[in-house]
Amino acid sequence: MDASHLRTILWLRWRLSRNQWSRGGPLNAVLTMVVTAAGLLIGIVGGLIGLLAGVFLLTKTSPDGLLVLWDAIVLGFLFFWMIGLISEIQRSETIDISRMLHLPVSLRGVFVVNYLASHLTPSVILFLPGMLGLALGLALGRGFSWLAMLPLALGLLFAITAWTYCLRGWLVTLMMNPRRRRAVIAIVTFTFIVVMQLPNFLGNVVFRHKHQRPQASESVSAVDPNEPFVRPPTKVVVGEPVLIAHKVVPVLWVGHGAMSLASGSVWPAALGALGLSGMGALGLRRAYRSTVRFYQGSARAKRPKRKRPVTPTVTPGTFLEWQLPGVPDDAAALALTFFRSLSRASEVKMMLATNFLMMLFFGAMILMPRSSPVSDTMKPFLVTGAVAFTFLGLAQLMFNLFGFDRSGFRALVLLPVPRRQILLGKNLAFLPIAAGIGLVLFALVKFALGVSLVVILATGLQLLAAFSLLSMLGNLASILVPHRIASGSLKPTKTSTMTTVLLFVSRLLLPLALLPVFLPPALGVLFAKVRWAAAGSTNLVASAVVLAILALLYWLSLNLLGDLLQRREQQILDIVTHEIE
Amino acid sequence: MTRAIETKALTRYFGTLCAVDGIDLHVEAGTFYGFLGPNGAGKSTTIRMLTGLLAPTHGAVRILGENLADAETARRVKRRVGVVPEDLALFDNLTAREYLTFVGRMYQLPLATVRERCDELLAMMSLDREEKKLTLEYSHGMKKKLTLAAALIPNPDLLFLDEPFEGVDAVSSRVLRDTLKRCVERGATVFLTSHVLEIVERLCTDVGIIAQGKLVYQGTMAEIRRDGSLEERFLEAVGSDQIEHQSLSWLEG
Repeated sequence: MDASHLRTILWLRWRLSRNQWSRGGPLNAVLTMVVTAAGLLIGIVGGLIGLLAGVFLLTKTSPDGLLVLWDAIVLGFLFFWMIGLISEIQRSETIDISRMLHLPVSLRGVFVVNYLASHLTPSVILFLPGMLGLALGLALGRGFSWLAMLPLALGLLFAITAWTYCLRGWLVTLMMNPRRRRAVIAIVTFTFIVVMQLPNFLGNVVFRHKHQRPQASESVSAVDPNEPFVRPPTKVVVGEPVLIAHKVVPVLWVGHGAMSLASGSVWPAALGALGLSGMGALGLRRAYRSTVRFYQGSARAKRPKRKRPVTPTVTPGTFLEWQLPGVPDDAAALALTFFRSLSRASEVKMMLATNFLMMLFFGAMILMPRSSPVSDTMKPFLVTGAVAFTFLGLAQLMFNLFGFDRSGFRALVLLPVPRRQILLGKNLAFLPIAAGIGLVLFALVKFALGVSLVVILATGLQLLAAFSLLSMLGNLASILVPHRIASGSLKPTKTSTMTTVLLFVSRLLLPLALLPVFLPPALGVLFAKVRWAAAGSTNLVASAVVLAILALLYWLSLNLLGDLLQRREQQILDIVTHEIE
Repeated sequence: MTRAIETKALTRYFGTLCAVDGIDLHVEAGTFYGFLGPNGAGKSTTIRMLTGLLAPTHGAVRILGENLADAETARRVKRRVGVVPEDLALFDNLTAREYLTFVGRMYQLPLATVRERCDELLAMMSLDREEKKLTLEYSHGMKKKLTLAAALIPNPDLLFLDEPFEGVDAVSSRVLRDTLKRCVERGATVFLTSHVLEIVERLCTDVGIIAQGKLVYQGTMAEIRRDGSLEERFLEAVGSDQIEHQSLSWLEG
């Protein structure tokens, strides 16, 4: 690629971005500029802070302290990097290579431009200037041998970005099949969430629990309440296994290099920089090869798989042919279709997986023996809290009923059915999912807190009440603030500023919307306090009344919202089918 | 003869751009109507307005003798209409059979009829060997065939087909042409848009030509054949003088 090609490609990228901004409106362009300026400012400030800290604050810090500091920076960078990776798991090329292949441009040149452009991420903007500033500051404050930290930090960045680029390219090839694509997105996201939540889970649940038990017994016998508490002096001491880990795990070489430099040895830092750069080069080479293979095909022929003889399938009565008792036929067909569609959608699986993790995390916190038991007054509130929790994850789907349909919404517009039936069908499709999550949570809470059957029954009614309430609000939000969701993700694609604000506000207000379901346990406590009736039975009766009121309101709202949907369906169609490049 | 489609001053603006400019369409029931026009002439915008996918800026639409302005009437009319839109209308996570079952139930067909028609349609469109695939895994041609099957399953009185043969293989295309002919013989009306003049010439009984949002010609194929060919009429209607001025300077001389 010569200079004129490079200039043209940079011009192309600029025009694409500029056109996208201008299509998004002036407010969008201003917001983009503000965010870019803020990013740059944060980078510059980070660099300055690093420089000043290196010159003035860290001149006397021990080698172990510097190791911990650099480890913290590297781990922080990796954490942010991983978040960025999850939000855009599949490599999105700055310049789409497939659109350049027929032109007389070198593939290698476009690849390098795309790889360099992949560095424009918040994690790099936030951390790289800080790392470089700190390395320079340490060189100024502690001696010029610390300049070895510069190639070491850059080597780390190179190794991580190159292998990430390689990984994302590999995921692209895996995701050639659309069904597999969704599964890959779901699995990778789930894995990253597990990896990121693991320290949180271990720290907050397992280790804290281990430490809490002896402290509880000791605190009574050993500590004199009149004696002032004196915090023991903290001193960083790095053990042998940690040192070995720092020699073996590449991302920890930066911390190890800093520690060695503080001890007077430059070699670990120099070797670390060399090793990380070598790894980066290998990753980039592999990424390039897989990119070429992806776009131009593999020269090696694969042995074809032996095809199984096709046997004519007998067509049994399918799931979609079921009738639902008490539900109009068209609403039942819609509900079954939407449920089938939801049960196969990777975005729903991702959402359920997140709920499952949260259940695991909070469930473990509840199940761990506590120093102070939950009072009987609080128990019904905790169970009702489980109901609210059920819907926190689901709300994302229930408040955007049509955004996940994408072109499927066109089929709904063409349907000869009253729009209230579409809303009813959509809502009913979520009922088994909500009930499933709710049942698991109830079982967990019942096991952990030992609440009475009456409270559990009351909570079952509250679940249905919350479902009616959120279905009603979700229908309204779906009609008024629809937004297209990219296939295989939960990410809205290019929403207007107003939509973004409204979505943000609606998420904030969601817990408030669920307040009516907390009314029955509150009444139970109140009635028990003034000795009018037992808390459990009041809770049950009040839950039944709240359910009846909300179910009636829901039923009445269907006609109104159905008419509103009918009036707005063409606008919704425009929004949910509008694809953005 | 009753009119299957009738529009009065049908107009659609996108911002300041007038995509469809006051067209008056008259499509008699039982005809095979070809709606032709160059790229960007307003064919798809017109068909989207006729099927209720897009609201007109001005004008009135009557489909099968009914005014679509009233929502209840529009729903009643939709029960008698099958549509293949330009941008297809499929749910990603359903199989072909599931999608057809869904559409059949929405048109309130008995389940036995839905099953029977699903089998026949899947076989006709050669989709029966891909039954386990979700529609998101389908190629464009397969998606088109499935949408066509969904439009045919209610055995409609009126079919709107936007570029129905685009991306469909030759065998399925032939089967589809024969099926559409039989629909018309049975008394149904077919309204199709196509870029391929040969297809329109071979299939259609009536033709409308739209250019720059205006209906510039409407008549029967018999009239067109009497005066020449469809291509000649088309070029005449959309402006054949453009062809004479379209040449590349460096290829001359």
